[in-house]
Formats: sequence, C-alpha cells, structure tokens
Amino acid sequence: MTASDSNKPQLKDGKTRSFIALHLMLVLYSFSGICAKLAGKFDFLSLGFVGCYAGMIAVLGVYAIGWQQVIKRLPLTLAYANRAVTVVWGLVWGVVLFSEQLNLLKVVGCLVVLAGVALYAYADAQEQVSDAEVGDAR
Amino acid sequence: MSQSVLLYAGFSLFGVFISSISQVMLKKSAMQSHGSAIKEYLNPLVIFAYVLFVGATLLSVLAYKGIPLSMGPVLDATGYLYVTFFGVVIFHERVTPKKLVALALIIAGIVIYALGSA
Repeated sequence: MTASDSNKPQLKDGKTRSFIALHLMLVLYSFSGICAKLAGKFDFLSLGFVGCYAGMIAVLGVYAIGWQQVIKRLPLTLAYANRAVTVVWGLVWGVVLFSEQLNLLKVVGCLVVLAGVALYAYADAQEQVSDAEVGDAR
Repeated sequence: MSQSVLLYAGFSLFGVFISSISQVMLKKSAMQSHGSAIKEYLNPLVIFAYVLFVGATLLSVLAYKGIPLSMGPVLDATGYLYVTFFGVVIFHERVTPKKLVALALIIAGIVIYALGSA
C-alpha cells in the first residue's frame, strides 16, 4: 500500500466530518427562525423580545463563522446546494414546536423550492466553470 | 390565505429583498480596494449593509407574527430571484437557461405552498 492509499480513508473521513458539520450548521441556522418566531410572541423591546432577538443574532453570528469554516473544507456548490435543506427544517420545527398543520401541497411546495435552490447552486457552479474556460481560451 | 397572512408574508418578502440589497453592498465593497484593513470593514457601504441586515432580521420577526414558521424559509428562497436580478443589472453576470429553470422551480414551489395554505 502506498502512502497516498493509506491517506485516502482519512481524507474521506475528513469530508464526511465536514459534511456532518455543514448539516449541523444548517440545523443551527434553522434555529434563527425559531428565535424570530418566539421573539414575535413578545411585545417589542420587552425582556422576552430582547432575549429571543439576541438569541437570533447570536445564532446567525455563530452560523456565519461556522459556514466560513465549512466552505473552506467542502466544495462550495455542495455547501450551497445543501443549504436548501433549511426549507425542510422550517417544516419540521413548525410542526414539532408550533403545532403547524401540514398538508400535501405544503410538503410538495417545499420540495419543489428545495429542488430549485439545489439546481441554482449547480447552475451557478457550471457557469463559473464555463467562464473560467472562456478566460483560459483568451 | 387570509389577508393578514398575505400582509405578513409581504413583510417577509420585503425583508428578503432588503437582505439581498445588503449582500450586493457587501459584494461591492469587497470588489473595491480599501486603504487599510479597518477601512475594509468600516466603510459606508459595509456599515449601511449591516444596518440593512439588522432591518431585515427585525422584519423577519415582524413577519413571523403572522406567518407560520414553515413559510419563512420558503419565502427566503425569493432571495435567489433578487440576487440574480442584481447580478445581471449591477455586476453584468449572465443568466443560463439552467438558472432560469431553477428560479422557475422556486417560484412554482412558493405558489404550490401558498395553494396549500389557502
């Protein structure tokens, strides 16, 4: 076995870890919606509002830092395409925490949005590759 | 969908729009050369971008008073429409057919979701 062969499983593990980290970040991001929803239940600038709003800003701050770290370790397209999953988390938290009603149209609508966001990320990546090729040709 | 949900969905959409403008300003600032590292973060464009960002978060709190949590991320996806529009108009980027299909899917998904909320 060569040195590069023995490195492969480790690299793969690293990617898997980064992928899990990406999804943990996206779950964290979905918490900002929960904080915003909770903040809206309190009067503007009341203690409850300030607490929930501060929580929302803190979540977005930690997410921004975590996202920067994750996109250093994963292909940007993969990261952006997976961001579409926040639509699903919105559905899940809505049902679990706020007893929102689901129906087939809502679920299908969310899945179609998810597909659109993921496709956008791949279209964007392809565009940048073809731009780079045009640049090379010049 | 009731009129009040529509109104609060409007707040959410406006928040996403403001947030997209904030992103454009950050990108504009990133493309300019600044004299020092401090000026890179503390210049009028960046400061105003963050003011808009705070405004967008407050609009999202206001919106959630009237819309379900599940609707928020669905409406957030309209950001891709604005970002594409600004990309073309301000940064002279191209729009590929695939991107148009992606945007059409996003709009279709929002419409289907809205039909489910009716």
